[in-house]
Amino acid sequence: MPEIIIDDKKFTYDTPGKVLPFILDHGMDLPFFCYHPSLSIPANCRQCLVEIGTPVFDRATNSFKTDENGEKVIQFFPKLMTACSQDMSDGMVVKTHVSSEKVRRAQKDTLEFILVNHPLDCPICDQAGECPLQIQTYKYGPEGSRFEYKKVHKPKRIQLGPRVVLDAERCINCTRCVRFTHEISKTYQLSIVSRGDKNYPSTANGKEFDDAYSLNTVDICPVGALTQADFRFKARVWEMNQTPSIDITNGKGTNVDLWVRDNLVLRLTPRHNPHVNDYWMPDSSREAYRLFNENRISRPEIKLDKELVKTSWNNAKETIAEIIEAHDTKEVLVLGSGYASVEENFVFNQFFTALGCGKASFVPHVVEGAGDGFLLTDDQAPNTKGCELLGFRAHTNRTFKNALAKATVVVVLAEDIVGRELANAEDLAGKTFVYFGTNNNTTSKDAQLVVPITCAAEHAASYVNVDGRIQRTFAAKETVYTSRATNLEMSTGRLDRFGTKFDNWRTDKNKVDCLPVWEFLSELAPRLNQTLSYETGKEVLTAVSSSVDAFAGVDYDKMDTEMGVVLSTPETEEKTA
Amino acid sequence: MAIDFQNYKTLIIPQGGNLRDIKAYEKQGGYKALKTVFDARESAWTRENVINEVKTAGLRGRGGAGFNTGLKWSFMPKPDGGKRYLAANGDESEPGTFKDRVIFEFNPHLFIEGAIIGAYSIQADAVYVYIRGEYRSWIRFMEQAVADAYKAGYLGKNILGSGINIDMYVHSGAGAYICGEESSLMESLEGKRGYPRVKPPFPAQRGLWGRPTTINNIESLANVPLILNMGAAKYAEMGAKTHPGPVLYGISGHVNRPGVYEFPTGMLITDLIYNVAGGIRNGKKLKALVPGGSSTPILRADQIEGVSMDADSLRTAGSMMGTAGMSILDEDTDMVDFLYRISHFYHHESCGQCTPCREGTGWLEKILKKIKNGDGEMRDLDLLLDLTTQMEGRTVCALADAAAWPVRHTITRFRDEFEARCRKSVFAIA
Amino acid sequence: MQINKIMSYTFDKEDLKQIDAIKAKYPTVQSATMPVLWYAQDKFGHVNAEVQHLVATTLDIPESHVHGVATFYTQYYKKEMGKYVLDVCTCFSCQVCGGYDMLHYIEDKLGIKAGETTPDGKFSIQEAECLGACGYAPMLQVTNDVYVNHLTKEKIDSMIDGLKEDKLPEYEEILPPQLISKD
Repeated sequence: MPEIIIDDKKFTYDTPGKVLPFILDHGMDLPFFCYHPSLSIPANCRQCLVEIGTPVFDRATNSFKTDENGEKVIQFFPKLMTACSQDMSDGMVVKTHVSSEKVRRAQKDTLEFILVNHPLDCPICDQAGECPLQIQTYKYGPEGSRFEYKKVHKPKRIQLGPRVVLDAERCINCTRCVRFTHEISKTYQLSIVSRGDKNYPSTANGKEFDDAYSLNTVDICPVGALTQADFRFKARVWEMNQTPSIDITNGKGTNVDLWVRDNLVLRLTPRHNPHVNDYWMPDSSREAYRLFNENRISRPEIKLDKELVKTSWNNAKETIAEIIEAHDTKEVLVLGSGYASVEENFVFNQFFTALGCGKASFVPHVVEGAGDGFLLTDDQAPNTKGCELLGFRAHTNRTFKNALAKATVVVVLAEDIVGRELANAEDLAGKTFVYFGTNNNTTSKDAQLVVPITCAAEHAASYVNVDGRIQRTFAAKETVYTSRATNLEMSTGRLDRFGTKFDNWRTDKNKVDCLPVWEFLSELAPRLNQTLSYETGKEVLTAVSSSVDAFAGVDYDKMDTEMGVVLSTPETEEKTA
Repeated sequence: MAIDFQNYKTLIIPQGGNLRDIKAYEKQGGYKALKTVFDARESAWTRENVINEVKTAGLRGRGGAGFNTGLKWSFMPKPDGGKRYLAANGDESEPGTFKDRVIFEFNPHLFIEGAIIGAYSIQADAVYVYIRGEYRSWIRFMEQAVADAYKAGYLGKNILGSGINIDMYVHSGAGAYICGEESSLMESLEGKRGYPRVKPPFPAQRGLWGRPTTINNIESLANVPLILNMGAAKYAEMGAKTHPGPVLYGISGHVNRPGVYEFPTGMLITDLIYNVAGGIRNGKKLKALVPGGSSTPILRADQIEGVSMDADSLRTAGSMMGTAGMSILDEDTDMVDFLYRISHFYHHESCGQCTPCREGTGWLEKILKKIKNGDGEMRDLDLLLDLTTQMEGRTVCALADAAAWPVRHTITRFRDEFEARCRKSVFAIA
Repeated sequence: MQINKIMSYTFDKEDLKQIDAIKAKYPTVQSATMPVLWYAQDKFGHVNAEVQHLVATTLDIPESHVHGVATFYTQYYKKEMGKYVLDVCTCFSCQVCGGYDMLHYIEDKLGIKAGETTPDGKFSIQEAECLGACGYAPMLQVTNDVYVNHLTKEKIDSMIDGLKEDKLPEYEEILPPQLISKD
């Protein structure tokens, strides 16, 4: 196998590639700004300069030249080379800052240059704390500045588009954002404008940067030049906890991180998954933070005199039990949802079928033309496939209406049937309607009983995306009944680890009074002489995988280590065949 | 061996009036080389033979880097059925350089003939002639000349019945020094911002529109018919051994008779200044010389004795041939003002792609402005020198080097003048 | 209050024919960006935001691309300029031959500074980088076109007088000293 020597250590490689990613993939550090693994390589920041040498080949003897010790003679390029653009070759010798004073000096020099016209406004910059420029300046930069002149002034606080704000003075011209719009989103909305040290990225004269993926440029901006309009000045990064999760706003299952402070999700960012979304995520998916924070149903509600009023959990359970007891279970319509996780749908179905109700069904939510062939899908729900694999009947709007007409009791999990115009108040009139949901909506308004359930940010549960990949969320925020101190799966933030020994999540007001479906139904079960006992999503999934063939062999550990698991569905079978 | 320059008969600068008229050029034996190549191409002038002839003639690029033109042509890969291009570099933006315009104006067909032969040798389908946008008058000359060459059957389909098709297009720049850098020139031809490309891949592998491309300077291509007409052996004997052939010397600055002169390489600088260009104006003394455009290291008057205009001699003297655009500075020249203005140029022209150049050029200018204004301190001079080492060799293209060299060499070679302009650093003693 | 001149920028049939001819020179449409910007500037006198938009829509290429290109190259006027733009070279070859004196003379004469336009919209002055006429310094270029070499105050006076009457300076043929003419 070809080998490469980096700072006197020998490595072998089997796939050809560039030096920089190889160094990074092997746990070594090398500073860089403009390089991005999924974009073209302009080698413009000049931060990853290294010494590169190759063995000298002697044509006369048709072999490599060796010195008196039998070692291959290495000839170094006279100039430092950018590791990002340098192809590896057999026998190549690379010296980074670890072993080369020349490289150390170059890294310091480049950083000094970058900082010449950088405003150094870290204390008021959103990027501070997760800023590659800040981090690398601390690690590799000069101690002070020798620049004693007025910096170049460029446009500031430019609302480039509805979601992205530009501070051109902070920009270091890495062109990642421009390359993103050229190579990934392909809207070509950004270009570097002007020339020399007046360069900055911009749209054409006053045009909106309304790219459906525009916020990815904020993620990949290595400085605070591009910031997210609705996150600016909301929080410092070190105050938030970063929890892996799954996008629930469409069927792609984009891997995301939830950034949570004090039980509020403040932003979502994409999490790398080469099988699903690479490093990217659509702007619309970032709106999910509103679903997690705003307009949540907190505490069960019951309709009294046409008004929903808060009630106790005991009363909620008792009410459901009474409804079941008072009706023929054959007349109960049990509606699952692609908007709820595999675990929730499974338990929901398990509970009601055990009572003699018919198997749960669902109404897929597909909007033709909403997808873009990239990360937006026609499928609006995150778990349509999961419902299918659980064997739920997929209703059309019409068959659902028919089923609804026949039912006297309607139990709905998380589906906004009124909002989706699957049913209206008239259709529901005269029926007993119980709604399990996360957010207040037109459907919850029409229910006789509303049971608040945990959302994707509050429980660990899994979703099967349109391609049959099952992936899971983690609890990222507390409910009234959970505590991050006792749930060891909840991620800790930098302040937890380094900042304070007191809990910096101070208020209780952001905790929602809700329960996971499985927990609520497990508590309800004894009242209806049922046995059902699930405490966590993990336990539910174990039950799923042992009882539903499509999920056989799947567990959370496997999902975590393999970045999701592709379930064997008729479609995926076909693909692999 | 001294060159008998008084009796030198120019080859590029026409003898017999302006040869812009194709008829006049043909009358003088123009397009003879092309006809020979195309007529006898089955036998004597195969593509390999033309390339070898140019290679053995020792023609070195006249754009500044001085690379062997024939060797450059031989880098083109074997044809794969796709398009191949020749780009002629007439961006001519290096301050102090004004020689290609003489070809455009007075002998454009010599260049066109050379370019067609070049395109034939490297099997290019088209030649793109990139001319700086400021040269609008000269672009018109070239467009006319190209149209005439098409009409005469030297360009287009089935040239001279050879079955070979070569097109030629004139492309106007729009004000960017960087587009004289070959990869930036290609970006500009592709309609983009003139950002130099990372190499490899080299133009011969991936050039214009992703296809194999060779880029040659206008004057280099104009030399090709000369080589074929006189033979490589005779050409190789002209001027300096390692850098042969006729060169257009653009002489400007404080001389009595500035202008573009043609002589073989290897002319003594002193001959060029005193005997060709009529010596220093107003009876002043020579102070310094920039031998080949603003980026080439400046030489003091005491450094030019016996130095000739060719790559080797100038390297020994501590400079470079560049474009042979010689700027002569007299004893009254303020070196601080002079260097400030050069730094201003590079700051203005840096494309802004690479960090060291984008930020370094501006910083150099700012420091020099401070010194020029009398606010400089001694430590600023060392900072300037330090910055040049931080810039040099650290960028995609050579603009950072071009910006760094004049600063380094003007300061080291005229340090006393710079020190005289600086305030003495005062350190407070506590 | 001054009423703004309302001007709509369009290419007519003849323009589009010319633009098609430009496009035919290159294997990609994008390559036509620069020549079409030139074409537009010749027609409209500048390539401001609206003209850039027109070029982008005519060529069907991203407007941001056209904007990026227009702002990279200094010869494209991104805003309306005076009818005659005097690009006075002050780069070092001209500098050492009195380029700045000429610039300042023109500035004083027209009562504006480099980078400004006279109130009557007739003249703009710009400080230019090397224009490639080093042997004929000091010199200037009129509106991206004709060069005026060997500047003197007298020559500037007569040139500006001429331009005031819309008489463009004539192209000056400067023969290389070694060129031997026919006769």
